[in-house]
Amino acid sequence: MFEQFVNGIFWNFALIVFFAGISWRIIAVLRRGKPKDLSVPRNSGISGAIMANIRGFYPRKEIAPRIRMQVIAGYMFHLCLFVLLFFAAPHVTFIAEYITGFSWMPIPYWAFVVASEITFAGLVLLWIHRVLNPVTRLISRRGDHIASILVFIVMLTGCMALAQTSTELRVFHRFTVELLMIYFPFSALMHAIMFVPSRAYTGAWFGRRGVKV
Amino acid sequence: MSTLLERGVDKLKTQIDARVEAYFSSCTHCGVCAEACLFYTETGDPRYTPIYKAEPLRKVWQQEFTLLGKLSNSLGLNSITENDLSDWEELVYDGCSMCGRCSMVCPVGIDIAYLIRKVKEGMAAAGFVPDDLQSAGQRALEFGSPMGLTAKSLRTTIAVLEQENAIKIPLDVEGADYLCMLSSNEVVLYSEFITAISKIFSAAGVSWTLSSKYFEATNTGVQIGDSQIAAQLLERLVEVASELKIKTVISPECGHAYTTFRWDAPNILGRALPFNVVHIMELLDQLRSEGRLKTTGSFDERLSYHDPCNISRRGGVVQQPRHLLNQVAPNFVEMQDSMEMNWCCGGGGGVSANERAEPLRLQVFNVKKRQLDELNVTTLVTSCSNCRIMLEDGLEDNDMDVSVIGITELIADHLA
Amino acid sequence: MLITRFTGDSDSQRFRLRVTIQHEDLLDGNIKMARVNNKKSDRVRKTLFFCVLSLLIVVTVPLVPYAIDAQAVAEKQIKADNVVALPNPAINLWNEVRQRNAITEGSSQVKSVDSGILINKAGEDWRRFRMEILVPYGAFSMAAVLLSLIAFFLLRGKMLLPEARSGKRILRFTLNQRTAHWFIVGLFWLLAITGLILLYGRIILIPLLGAEGFSITATACKDVHNLMGPLFLFAVLAMFLLFVKDNFFTGADLKWLAKGGGMFGGHVSAGRFNAGEKIWFWLLIIFGLSLCISGLILVFSIFGQGREVMALSHMFHGISALLLISVSFGHIYLGTVGMEGTLESMTTGYVDESWAKAHHDLWYEDMAGASETTESADKNSQAGIVASGIANTSHK
Repeated sequence: MFEQFVNGIFWNFALIVFFAGISWRIIAVLRRGKPKDLSVPRNSGISGAIMANIRGFYPRKEIAPRIRMQVIAGYMFHLCLFVLLFFAAPHVTFIAEYITGFSWMPIPYWAFVVASEITFAGLVLLWIHRVLNPVTRLISRRGDHIASILVFIVMLTGCMALAQTSTELRVFHRFTVELLMIYFPFSALMHAIMFVPSRAYTGAWFGRRGVKV
Repeated sequence: MSTLLERGVDKLKTQIDARVEAYFSSCTHCGVCAEACLFYTETGDPRYTPIYKAEPLRKVWQQEFTLLGKLSNSLGLNSITENDLSDWEELVYDGCSMCGRCSMVCPVGIDIAYLIRKVKEGMAAAGFVPDDLQSAGQRALEFGSPMGLTAKSLRTTIAVLEQENAIKIPLDVEGADYLCMLSSNEVVLYSEFITAISKIFSAAGVSWTLSSKYFEATNTGVQIGDSQIAAQLLERLVEVASELKIKTVISPECGHAYTTFRWDAPNILGRALPFNVVHIMELLDQLRSEGRLKTTGSFDERLSYHDPCNISRRGGVVQQPRHLLNQVAPNFVEMQDSMEMNWCCGGGGGVSANERAEPLRLQVFNVKKRQLDELNVTTLVTSCSNCRIMLEDGLEDNDMDVSVIGITELIADHLA
Repeated sequence: MLITRFTGDSDSQRFRLRVTIQHEDLLDGNIKMARVNNKKSDRVRKTLFFCVLSLLIVVTVPLVPYAIDAQAVAEKQIKADNVVALPNPAINLWNEVRQRNAITEGSSQVKSVDSGILINKAGEDWRRFRMEILVPYGAFSMAAVLLSLIAFFLLRGKMLLPEARSGKRILRFTLNQRTAHWFIVGLFWLLAITGLILLYGRIILIPLLGAEGFSITATACKDVHNLMGPLFLFAVLAMFLLFVKDNFFTGADLKWLAKGGGMFGGHVSAGRFNAGEKIWFWLLIIFGLSLCISGLILVFSIFGQGREVMALSHMFHGISALLLISVSFGHIYLGTVGMEGTLESMTTGYVDESWAKAHHDLWYEDMAGASETTESADKNSQAGIVASGIANTSHK
């Protein structure tokens, strides 16, 4: 019964909330708009916006030594999460079947396992750092912790279902994924999408002033 | 909600635009901004984390503009209290110089200084502004100068300088190409700036003038975060520039004056300015590249350049001082963290006018001390008179034997 | 003689109202560990101790005849095994079948490790080791440590600071060290719990979950255990690199051990880490590496490991795991409930000066120049960070 619920209604519900929620947030932000900048620009704002999006991926040398943990663990987590989410064989099969209709070449099993391990390590290190560093301990909100723990649970249930022999474990994993999809548009996880306009706005602002971001 | 709080919150609501929403939606509270902020690195106090200073605005956004926030609001779960504003007064006015270094390092590209500027609007509306700044603002509105300088004081200073230096300083000349603004600091403490530009412009054949009707470059409205005061002060400049039929306004050696005139003024006033704006260094560099600024001799002391935040990082004038220094200073060495990532003097954003913030400001000067100790220079050059005072203060506090000079003065001393 | 002190701990916002030292001889000469000696809680603890002791006696005493009986049965079995009436005429056949001192090399169509052995005794040896030695002795060691700790706590109580907190804090563990520690803690417990479920699940969980329920649980645990296992290697290496510097044994450690670490009264000197901590560190490194290596052999069984190798690896893996889990109870006890002022060293990174003087005086003397002052203002206590005196905190 639970299996039918998770595979059926709840999946559809999660899918709708996920896509509609994200679209709604993006549209709402863009619609709010901002007053036009009436100053005379020194350089192009658009190229600044694009450059900021690219440049934002690596830390400035002036602070890089101070933030090594965040950068390394952060990339461990994000890069390998991306790899395992979109290129692990069970996920490719699932996405092909339920979302896109077409599939692509998955990574070999050992690469899936290694990617998962690195993702776990990165996530746990980041969350431990969040709790131990006095700065992040002060500024972190409930949502930051919930997001970290929820992602961890999704990954853990996925790991539990790795053997792909038990329907129950697979259903449980899918259930936690659906919970994450519902939580996503209302949480700090939206940074995965909102970082693009965020960097763009700031990049444009600096670009107009001719400052190298 | 009390009236003060209501006013603050209502004002903050008006401050939320697409940029603010994108920023707060992206923030993952990673804490990287703290590592770039001198108020955090030199005190170890996590409350000075830049994004934490923007909490009042975030709370308003979360409560009024997000679905979960609006839901909890209707259930009576949210409440912004007066403490959410009053407790932030010290963080925002004493513990932030609006240097914008945080905005350069945020991994998701948040312009945190932009957010803090908006927080100040709410604080100003609610009345949580340090007394010193409030008084400076009132003096600025009444006299034109936050120090209370009048046109009479300016005329006196000009007369003395003309006599001592055998130069002519144009005042209220209609139809001049350039109108040079002055910060009160420059009139009172560093009047060698006026002498310097006089000599340089005379040698280069630049048509320029000062104004006695309104000469103040600083804008206390911007420092307080009150756009209404800022606009009132800017209107006076527009009026004077129109009266004197000025084509270009020169922003002098003052940090936030440049960003205000050049970048923020049109947006504060809601219309394009009827004149161009250049920083004095931009003009000097232009004259140098046109061959109109000829220098002789050199200043051989081992020196470095302190980039004023509002001019370099927030203003975009980064290379010009270096071109000028390379002309006269063969022993110019860069700081380890330089140009757009140089460290703030600690006194921007109104902190220098805030006596309450002095102990903190002197403490965070340690970062500048370390930068200088690494270089072992005898002289420090800068292009902002506020930075100059702050640097001299900090150097004296630390018994350091480094002299501070303004770049215009240095160039003028080596005019051919 | 009664000494009353009011001690407040603003960091954790607890207030202990009264520390009463009852006996004069506790004050003479060395500073001894003071005990919270509120009469009521003392009585409660003593009562609990005797209840637990009685429970233990009631439970274990009837088992003694069974133990004796089992012993007798085992002896009979050995005697039976050793009675050789007549050699089995088919002994050569069975040796060939089992490939034990065999003359011919067994072979089969299936080409794989050990595929030439028709009946492999190694599997039975392995099973017997697991079920008859690993499982019971492992349970016994974990239970013994746990019960000893409970008894110790009931007897001795929480070991308090002999002097009140001075308010001056000293950095003991950097952010990297703390991150590595809590990282290995998470991994350790994830692996320990999944591992224990795999070891004891059939006995404890099948009655609760049923066979199919346990099958699902065990599958899940096995996959989590196998996936997280390799990460433990990196965690152990990180712990080694970050903590090895102060963990080499010195003369002071022998003295510390001789005095029982001061856990039964008295003061002993210690450097940054005392002998107990050093022993735990090296146990973790040695048995942690043993776990990793044996674990890797077990999980990547595609490199020609035969049953002997697998059985040996499993033996190392199991023994190392149960040993570490048992000793970890002691480590956790001392780091949390057992001693005042210790946990904060691993959460905030700082310890109070009086804690340092009481437990690691040689280290305290080294660090004396680096001590810092906290302000107890509320706004700082939330942040838990010192105000003046720290420049350029790199938190590394």
